[in-house]
Amino acid sequence: MLSIFYILIFPGFLFLSAFGLAAQFVDRKLCARLQNRVGPPWFQPLADFIKLSAKEDIIPEEANPSMFKLMPVLAITAAITAIFYIPLWSVNPIYAFSGDLIVVLYLLTIPTLTFFLGGWYSTSLYSRIGAVRALTQLFAYEVPLLMSILAPALLADTWSLKEMSLFYSAHPFFWLFNILGFAISMIALLGKLEKVPFDIPEAETEIVGGTFTEYSGRLLALFRLGIDIEQIVGAALLAAVYLPFGLGLGPVAGFLLFVLKVLTIVCMLSILRTIFARLRIDQMISFCWKCLAPLAFIQLFIDLVLKGFIVR
Amino acid sequence: MHKVVIPIGPQHPALKEPESFSVTLSGEKIMKFSARLGYNHRGIEKACEERTYIQDVYLTERICGICSHSHSTCFVQAVEEIAGADIPKRALYIRTLVGELERIHSHLLWLGVAGHEVGFDTLLMYTWRDREVVMDILAMLTGNRVNYGINTIGGVRRDVTAEQGKAILKAMDTLEERTNYYIQIATKETTLIQRLSGVGLLSNKDALKLGAVGPTARASGVDRDVRRDDPYAAYAEVKFKVITDNHNDVYGRTLVRVGELLETYKIIRQIIKKMPEGPLTVKVPRKIPAGEAVSRYEAPRGEDMHYVKSNGTEKPDRVKVRAPTLANIQTVAKMLEDRQLADLPIVIAAIDPCFSCTDRLTGIRHAGKRSKSVLKWEELHAYSIRHYREHGIDFAELNKKMRKALK
Amino acid sequence: MTKEESIQSELVKKFGALEGKTRIQRPRRIFTEAPPGSFREIFEYAIQKLGFVVLSTITGLDEGTTLGFMYHIAREDGIMLNIKVSVDRNNPVIKTITEYFPAADIYERELMDLLGAQVQGLPKATRYPLSDDWPADEYPLRKDWKKSTGSEAKNNA
Repeated sequence: MLSIFYILIFPGFLFLSAFGLAAQFVDRKLCARLQNRVGPPWFQPLADFIKLSAKEDIIPEEANPSMFKLMPVLAITAAITAIFYIPLWSVNPIYAFSGDLIVVLYLLTIPTLTFFLGGWYSTSLYSRIGAVRALTQLFAYEVPLLMSILAPALLADTWSLKEMSLFYSAHPFFWLFNILGFAISMIALLGKLEKVPFDIPEAETEIVGGTFTEYSGRLLALFRLGIDIEQIVGAALLAAVYLPFGLGLGPVAGFLLFVLKVLTIVCMLSILRTIFARLRIDQMISFCWKCLAPLAFIQLFIDLVLKGFIVR
Repeated sequence: MHKVVIPIGPQHPALKEPESFSVTLSGEKIMKFSARLGYNHRGIEKACEERTYIQDVYLTERICGICSHSHSTCFVQAVEEIAGADIPKRALYIRTLVGELERIHSHLLWLGVAGHEVGFDTLLMYTWRDREVVMDILAMLTGNRVNYGINTIGGVRRDVTAEQGKAILKAMDTLEERTNYYIQIATKETTLIQRLSGVGLLSNKDALKLGAVGPTARASGVDRDVRRDDPYAAYAEVKFKVITDNHNDVYGRTLVRVGELLETYKIIRQIIKKMPEGPLTVKVPRKIPAGEAVSRYEAPRGEDMHYVKSNGTEKPDRVKVRAPTLANIQTVAKMLEDRQLADLPIVIAAIDPCFSCTDRLTGIRHAGKRSKSVLKWEELHAYSIRHYREHGIDFAELNKKMRKALK
Repeated sequence: MTKEESIQSELVKKFGALEGKTRIQRPRRIFTEAPPGSFREIFEYAIQKLGFVVLSTITGLDEGTTLGFMYHIAREDGIMLNIKVSVDRNNPVIKTITEYFPAADIYERELMDLLGAQVQGLPKATRYPLSDDWPADEYPLRKDWKKSTGSEAKNNA
């Protein structure tokens, strides 16, 4: 009974959807203000969702209907599942086992894979180009992301998010050594969420809507919601790994701090997406491998040195 | 690698007007590019032959929404040349003023579109906001944001007052400051430079060979500008530099356009300062004597050319329009050689295409003759009224209500 | 002697056929009419010797019994030479000038579509600017071409 509550209400589907839509509003409003626009009212993301849900689903004749319909659901499911292993306001996540960090990272790649499969099974040319781009991009940002997230774990000598939180609570200022990794993960997260400058898979001026060209109605609404949830979960993961302070404040203050952390990350993401132009896929890949990956190595190195000399 | 042919257009988010491009891709690389133009034909050249000269002024103005003043000026210049009219100085200055204001609005618009094509929407929002400044000025001078209707055969229809002159000078100061800021962005913002430089290369030799015009040519080091080479209106009496650049790429085209913006502000300041007093129009007979003339005009996008032939009646015998995009569109295939799909929108956008200018002519479908699904105009009209009534909207009722409310 | 006059006299000196057919309408505008036989020679001479290196466009004219084609070429200093060549309306054959100006391709296609000119030497390609289902023998810019009769045509125009 309790697990159903976890899954459907809190911190599962309902909470994440509401928070996701709220974060979408923050993102859109901030972006609009930065661009000298007024921006949407607070209920706009919800209104968009309801309106899209009421529209007709159009499935291309040549598409594989079951795969086409399955993908948005899968994207949401994977993102929601990941939240259960992330410590939110205390050191204890809802479920934990040793190695859950790796599981969370893999669960967070599933939405990208669904973008690929959804695009591929749409059979439209634009979708397929978008799908291939999504996958190509995945290989570029995933490695720096993994390395930079594993570095703090290495320092804590565990693959479990819970143990990590315990470690960083015991050593309050160690998270400051992981700032570089935080920056790298933030940029990689932009790629994961397909935001400018890494919105290459859905670049509308080039390939119409990329992966989502053929999606409409409820399925598109679900995909969009999936991305919103993924943004929250990604931000929560980053908050848990890189900002592991204030975890002993108790449920209310701790929860507020968690919301604050996530929103800070969301705001930083939207600032980043406002100030850049979209890169080309080749530029994106060489940037990830030539800049991000070496920087992630440096982060790993810092943590290894720390571990060798200070923590023991 | 497997090759795919993807259609860009006739409807595509990257294109603001319907044109069809077909791109053969190998992976992300463009192997072949071909264009099919003609989706915007409205039969304007033929229509010009069936209307009077004064009607044609307004018709040519509607060839294009952005460079409307360019077309109408180009047309009236040709007609005035045939008629041998001596246009008052003040009218020429006002024409130049509106033409240059139009250049500002067109170039700012382009800058925003270029930003949008490379996914830099912030630039779009900023430039289009600043574009409102010049749009307001144009609305103040002419009563319209586009299609100014200021030209008439023999002069201009509205005067510029001293207060308006002051407002324009003030707006120029604002715009100059903003343009300097954009120059800073264009030359410093890394991702933007990455997307623009080296993209859409057109060597000086190719630009000359393919007959590129306007900023597209000038960014490839072709030092041509009709305003200087073949001065019309008041351009012989103002000082300005022709901006050229040797980058040969989209980045160069951006620099040329923002550079031209700065020159335009200088021109406008000189015009306001020097504008002579005097009448606005001279009388030109309704029937233009037989003759022919060629008129050239440096539109924001490049050289615009009108050829007018008259036959002594009140309607022209032939009007030929060559819009700048038609000259430039042929360079696009060259620019896209060995480029990636991602570069296509910005390369096409970099010539600042205006397809409705390009496709100005030609007629109508043979309604009812060729295809049964074609509705006659009256049928379409009746159908639309019926359709809205069925959906509970009655325009007749609404109009009545509106009139009442206005009283 | 102005630049325009020297160009005019040079043209007339070189090609006797242009005697009396060349006029300077205003500064920077020279109009001339070339006989179909020697048009190409004159055109090439203007490009290569007189420096008319910019092709602005080609205008097609319906002159009743003949079709006129006016080539607008310009120099860097803004002088524009407009050479007209008239050919029989029933057999309007001209040669392509794409060897001098590759960009002329699209202007010539326009002449083919709208006036029914037959341009020799152009490779086959999609038509411009009319739609693909436009009837083959209708050339809208010819004077005797009328929009299809009836009110619908008038309203659609």
